[in-house]
Amino acid sequence: MTEWLLDAVLALLLLALAGGALHARNRYAGVLLFIAFGLVLALIWARLGAPDLALAEAAIGAGLTGVLLLAALARQPAGSGAEGVSFARHRLAAAAVLVPLLMILLQGLDPLAEQRSPLPELATGALGQSGVSHPVTAVLLNYRAWDTLLELAVLLLALLGARQLGPARFEVERPWPLLRAWSRSLAPLLLLAGGYLLWSGSSAPGGAFQAGSLLAAGVVLLRLAGVLPALRWSFWPLRLLVLLGLLLFLAVAIACAWFGAGWLVYPDGWAKPLILVIEVAATLSIAASLSLLVVGEAREASA
Amino acid sequence: MNLALLSLTLPLVGALLLILLRPAGGRWVIMINLASTLAAAGALHQVMQTGTQWLELGGWQAPLAIRFQLSPLAALLLLFTAGLHLLVALYAARSRHAIGGEDFWPLSCLLQAALAALWLSGDLFNLYVTLELLSLAAVALVALAGAKAYRPALNYLLLSLAGSLAYLFGVALLYGRYGVLDIALLSELAEADVTTRLALLLMSLGLMLKAALWPLHLWLPPAHAGAPAAVSALLSALVVKGPLYILWLLWSRIAPVELAQSAGGLFAVAGIFALLCGGWSALRAPYLKTLVAYSTVAQLGYALLALGLLLRWQEPSLSAALWLFVLAHGLAKVSMFLAAGELQYTLGSKRVRALKGASQTMPLALFAFAVAGGSLIGLPPSGGFLAKWLLLQPLFQQPQHWPWAIGVLLGTLASAAYVFRVVALGFDRARPTPASFHPDRLAQWLAMLPALLVWCLALISKPLLLWIGGVSQ
Repeated sequence: MTEWLLDAVLALLLLALAGGALHARNRYAGVLLFIAFGLVLALIWARLGAPDLALAEAAIGAGLTGVLLLAALARQPAGSGAEGVSFARHRLAAAAVLVPLLMILLQGLDPLAEQRSPLPELATGALGQSGVSHPVTAVLLNYRAWDTLLELAVLLLALLGARQLGPARFEVERPWPLLRAWSRSLAPLLLLAGGYLLWSGSSAPGGAFQAGSLLAAGVVLLRLAGVLPALRWSFWPLRLLVLLGLLLFLAVAIACAWFGAGWLVYPDGWAKPLILVIEVAATLSIAASLSLLVVGEAREASA
Repeated sequence: MNLALLSLTLPLVGALLLILLRPAGGRWVIMINLASTLAAAGALHQVMQTGTQWLELGGWQAPLAIRFQLSPLAALLLLFTAGLHLLVALYAARSRHAIGGEDFWPLSCLLQAALAALWLSGDLFNLYVTLELLSLAAVALVALAGAKAYRPALNYLLLSLAGSLAYLFGVALLYGRYGVLDIALLSELAEADVTTRLALLLMSLGLMLKAALWPLHLWLPPAHAGAPAAVSALLSALVVKGPLYILWLLWSRIAPVELAQSAGGLFAVAGIFALLCGGWSALRAPYLKTLVAYSTVAQLGYALLALGLLLRWQEPSLSAALWLFVLAHGLAKVSMFLAAGELQYTLGSKRVRALKGASQTMPLALFAFAVAGGSLIGLPPSGGFLAKWLLLQPLFQQPQHWPWAIGVLLGTLASAAYVFRVVALGFDRARPTPASFHPDRLAQWLAMLPALLVWCLALISKPLLLWIGGVSQ
């Protein structure tokens, strides 16, 4: 009974927060509601038995997206846009499209309740040879490693795309002394937590994306507190850090194809160390890319 | 298979090294592409001898892992992608104005790698990832044109994300229903029930939005017209073909026959409308690159028509027509966009009217435009003619199919009208628009090269049909 009540409250809260974020009177409130929405969504994933997704949603969906939105908000010229204007006709049109769509979707989703996929059993069955003991990590870095490699390229492209939007300078104002002190004590903790998530990824929920976004959160915090110098794209070690995960992953794939049994076929006994090395490199790359997205300076200091 | 992997890996590694080391991009990209084209040609040669090859990535069995499928068609498309990128890179290395910035080089390499991964993939979720890569690369390339292109780029990004989400929802539904993602396995399992219908509907809508098929094409003209010339060429010739390929896989492999037959009619009607509406808008467009962009919308109508009739009559020979259209349109459109970019840059105006007297001031670029236009109209012996011939053959055989042929005829007239609109202006020699500076002859020749190649397609029609026909059996 209490579990049922908890689920119902979470679901209603999620809907209310989504509505609030969409229809907030001003943008700032909307962004805050959106962050809260991400946190509740993370809780719901956890309730549904998907702790990996919950961690990713909390770190990326609520944390970094929230920071990105707040940063975008800070760059808006004051008093611009349509604060507090309601678009009654837009809402009606959206409802007219979405309500029938929802009805059709429910009809299609309904028969899926009884279906059972053979894949989860296959995935757990092959865990012995995969080099890791957590099925999600095995899927991400062994069975479907090619998807993960391409996902890293997606992140790189997002960064390159954002770079095209010209020199948007990130102004760090004189940091508040308390923020400075806090960030100094919080950053090592975030580093520790990130390292733990990365290491535990092989046997429990966690992994490169979650660890990377935690590290990125630490970097963003330090940058906001003015402890770190500006992150510039023209600084080549930073670019190497961004590319490291993808380069290493590709090097492993090519080496496997050239010397070994085939594209991304890890040699016997090498799966665990290779996966670990790839994960460490990917974590660093993800952390570097995400921090560049949030607090990077597009301006070229020296070409 | 190793050669195909090489053709995919070269641009990917090349792009990463270009980002890291930042050398002067043009020469390196041309060399990478040359190697990648040769590798793809080798892969095509190999696969014609051995037949379709499969590669299980990571050494795991099919439902658990991703499979690569190297069919003759996939190999041909690999060759087509690498070759077109090479042609564009040759022009772009010469004309610096056509690229917008040094980031063009790694981005275009990533675009090629994404497409190569798309042609090879045989897994619905992996196809989603490649689609994402493809559209992010395309959006970043559009944004290279500077602040005036931000709005079209943002619209492109948002619509393409909406398309991705619809596709992903469909993939999730199919996975929930059948529990596998591999296309070959799904094709054995698929039944015509509510969930499958819904999944196919969502995926088709998403893919049609991404491929700018009528009536979901409205984002395409501003994005393609606003991008730098070399980018427009890549987008029009290659990017919209990726989602089209997935749409074709979806309906010809996975969809149950009775569903495919009823959807085929809709696709074919949408194709006719695309031909007419796209042609009409191209005829009325005030700017040269908008005209060329609308012509892409119209030409995709032929591909859609071929797909629709292929599904409706379950006539596999039409898939050869579909892929020939894609190849011929790709080559012709590269030439057209590059020529348009060169004309627009040298004459100093974006308007179609500024082309007055271009036959005197820039004869080579205008000739390239006209030659490419000839293939779009379908004049023999161009590649466009070959494709249209294949499409019309089954239409002529039975009298009840003749109304479709009238649609094709009207579309042809429309494309002739917009091509001749430009050419006729070019020959209007009274008070021609003067060139802003001395026209670059080599750049114009490089822009003409793809158009000459498309006229050569007819010369290799027999092996070409063999390569494409290998799929339809």
